[in-house]
Amino acid sequence: MKKFIALFVLVVVALSGSVALAFNPDDEAGMSLEEMRAQFGAVPYGHGSLKFGAVAKAFENEYWRTLREGYWAIQDKLQAQGFDITIDVRSAQGEGDQQGQLAIVNNMVNQRYDALLLSPISDGNLIPGVENALRRGIPVVNVNDGLIEIAPNFVGPRAYDNGVLAAEWIADKLGGEGQVAIVVGMPLAFAARQRTLGFEDWMTENAPGIEIVAKQNADWDRLKAKNVAEIWIRQYPDLKAIFCNNDVMALGVQEAVNASGKDILVVGVDGIGEAYDSIRAGEMDATIDSFPYYKAQIAVEATLRVMGGQDLPRVIWTPQALIDSTNVDTPAEEIIGWTEAEFVN
Amino acid sequence: MSKTKRKKGVLREMGVLIALVAMFAVFTLIDTSFISIYNILDIINHSTINGLMAIGITFAILTGGNDLSIGSVFAIVIVVTGKLLVAGVHPILASLIGIAIGFGLGLVNGTVVAKLKLQPFVATLGAMSIYRGVAYVITGGWPVLRIPREFRQMIDGTVFNYVPKSIFILIGFALICHIVLKYTPFGSYIYAMGGNEEATRLSGVNVDKFKIFAYGMVGIGAALAGLVMLARLGTGEPTAGQGYELDAIAATAIGGASLAGGKGTVLGTFLGAILLSTLKVGLIVTGVDTFWQYIATGTIIVIAVYFEFIQSKLYRKSLVAE
Repeated sequence: MKKFIALFVLVVVALSGSVALAFNPDDEAGMSLEEMRAQFGAVPYGHGSLKFGAVAKAFENEYWRTLREGYWAIQDKLQAQGFDITIDVRSAQGEGDQQGQLAIVNNMVNQRYDALLLSPISDGNLIPGVENALRRGIPVVNVNDGLIEIAPNFVGPRAYDNGVLAAEWIADKLGGEGQVAIVVGMPLAFAARQRTLGFEDWMTENAPGIEIVAKQNADWDRLKAKNVAEIWIRQYPDLKAIFCNNDVMALGVQEAVNASGKDILVVGVDGIGEAYDSIRAGEMDATIDSFPYYKAQIAVEATLRVMGGQDLPRVIWTPQALIDSTNVDTPAEEIIGWTEAEFVN
Repeated sequence: MSKTKRKKGVLREMGVLIALVAMFAVFTLIDTSFISIYNILDIINHSTINGLMAIGITFAILTGGNDLSIGSVFAIVIVVTGKLLVAGVHPILASLIGIAIGFGLGLVNGTVVAKLKLQPFVATLGAMSIYRGVAYVITGGWPVLRIPREFRQMIDGTVFNYVPKSIFILIGFALICHIVLKYTPFGSYIYAMGGNEEATRLSGVNVDKFKIFAYGMVGIGAALAGLVMLARLGTGEPTAGQGYELDAIAATAIGGASLAGGKGTVLGTFLGAILLSTLKVGLIVTGVDTFWQYIATGTIIVIAVYFEFIQSKLYRKSLVAE
C-alpha cells in the first residue's frame, strides 16, 4: 500500500513537469483586426448561397448568448447588402454536454454546411467532428477557447492580455505599492491559466512594489469566490486589490468586500451586463471586456476571407478593453474603434 | 435500555467527530493562525448552504433513496423568490412562497418515486434536468438582480456584528429535523422503511405517504439553502447549485449515513457538512496549490468515511458485548 502511494505520487509529480500545451494561440504570431483589414482589404464574397454553422458552448451563459447575437447581427447585415447567407447558431446543453456538442457538429457536417465556426467545450470534444469536416473540405474556424489543435484558424481575444490589462490598471491605481490576490477559475484551464499568467508576469516585470500574496481557485463559482475573499480579507488586513478570472467570481468577491467595509479594488474579466451595472453603481472597479458581439462578426469575416483564398495567419486576435467608471457608458463601438467590414462580390 | 440508548447516541457520530478534530489539529500544525474564532465562524458560515441541503437529503437517503434534483430545486427557489422580491413582495411572504415551492417540488419527486415506483436515482436525475430547464425558462437565462436589502438583512444579516443570521436557520432546521426523525412516528417509519420497506408496509404503515413527505423535507432543505444563497449574493442565478447535490451526499456519507438506507442521523450529516467546510477553509488559509486541493479533498473524504466505518464496526461490537 505504502509503495503504491509512493509510486502514485511519483508518477503524478513526474507527469506534472512535462505538461505542455500543444497549441497556444497566445504564443502564436497573430494579427489584430486592424492589421488584418489593412493587409487584406475588402472581404471577398464570391460564393452565391452560403450556410454557416456556428456552435457555442452553452446559451445558459450570457457570454455565449451575446456571441449568438453577434452572429445574427452579421447575418442580417450581409443579407441587407444582398448576400445570400444564413448562419445557424447552436449550443450544447450546458457546459458539461461534450457529446451533445459533437453531435451538433457532426450533423452540420453531414448536411454539408459551407463552414463551421466552433467554440468547443473542451480542447478535445469536437476533434472527431472537425476531422470529418476537414476531410470533406469544409473550412473550420476555432472561435475562442477551447482550443482545437487541428483547426486551421483561430479567432479570439488574447487571454494573456486580459491579465496584463488588469495588472496595469491595478498597479496604476495603487501607485505601484501593495498586496494583491488572484481568484482563479480552474476547470476551463486555458483561459484561467493565461489570464493569471499575464497578470503575474506583468506585475513581476513592471511593479516590484506589488506583492501577490494569495492565489486560489473558485471554480468560476460566485459563492466559492465570495468565501475565498472573506477569508483573505481577514488573513491579509492590508490587501488592496483582487483580480478575478471572470466577472461572476468578481461579483461574489465584491459582496465580501462590501461586507468588510474595506476599500479593496475588484477587477473581473468578460464584461457581462451585471459587471457593467456593478461598475455603474460604484461597486466593482473594472472588468476586461472582450466584446463577444463583435468577436462573432469578426469570426464570420475571417471565415469569408479564408474561403476567398486570403492567406490569413493562423490566429486573429479580437479586440478587448478595460472598462471602469470612466468609460462604462461609452458605446462599445467607440471603445474598440469598430468599423464595419467592406464586403465585395 | 435508556442507558444504552444514550450511549448509542454519543457513540454514533464519534467517527466524524474524531476526523474533524484531527483535521483541525493538522491545519493548526501547518498554520497556527488557523484556529481562530474568525476561521471557526467562517467554517460554520460557509457550511450553511451545503448543511441545509445535506440535512434535507438525509431524509431521502434514510428511506433508501436519493435526490439528485436538489441543485435544480435550489435554483428554481432562488429565481422565483428573487423575482417576487424584486416585484415588491414582502420578504417574509416571498420566503414562505420559496419554501412552499421547494416542498412542492420535493413532493412531486416523492410521488414519482413512491407511486410510479421509479428508482429514486433515475427519477430525480430526470427531475434535475426538468427543474433546471424551468429555472432557465423563468429567467430566460439571465440572473435576477438587485435583491432588496431588507430581505438580505433578514436572512443573512449579522448579529453581534459578525455572526450571520443564516447560521441560526441551519441550526434551527437541524434541530427540527433531529426531533422529527427521533421523536415522531414519521421519523421511525422513515428509518423502518429504509431498513426493510416490505416489512414496514406489511406491518400496516402507509409507506408511500411517508416516503412522499420525506422527499418534501428534502425540498424544504434545498429551498432554505436557496434563500440563504439569494440573501448572501444579492443576485439570483438560474445556473446556481450545479453539482451541489454531490457535496450534500458527501456530507451525509461522511456523517455516517448509509446510501442503502436506514442508517444516518441529522447530527452526523451536520458534522459532515462542517468537516467539508473545515477542509475548504483550511486549504485556503494554508494556501495549498489548487491542483493538489482536488487530490487532498478526495483523499480526505475517503479517509473520513473510513473513520466512520471503523467506528461503526467498534460500535456494533460494543452492542454485542452488552
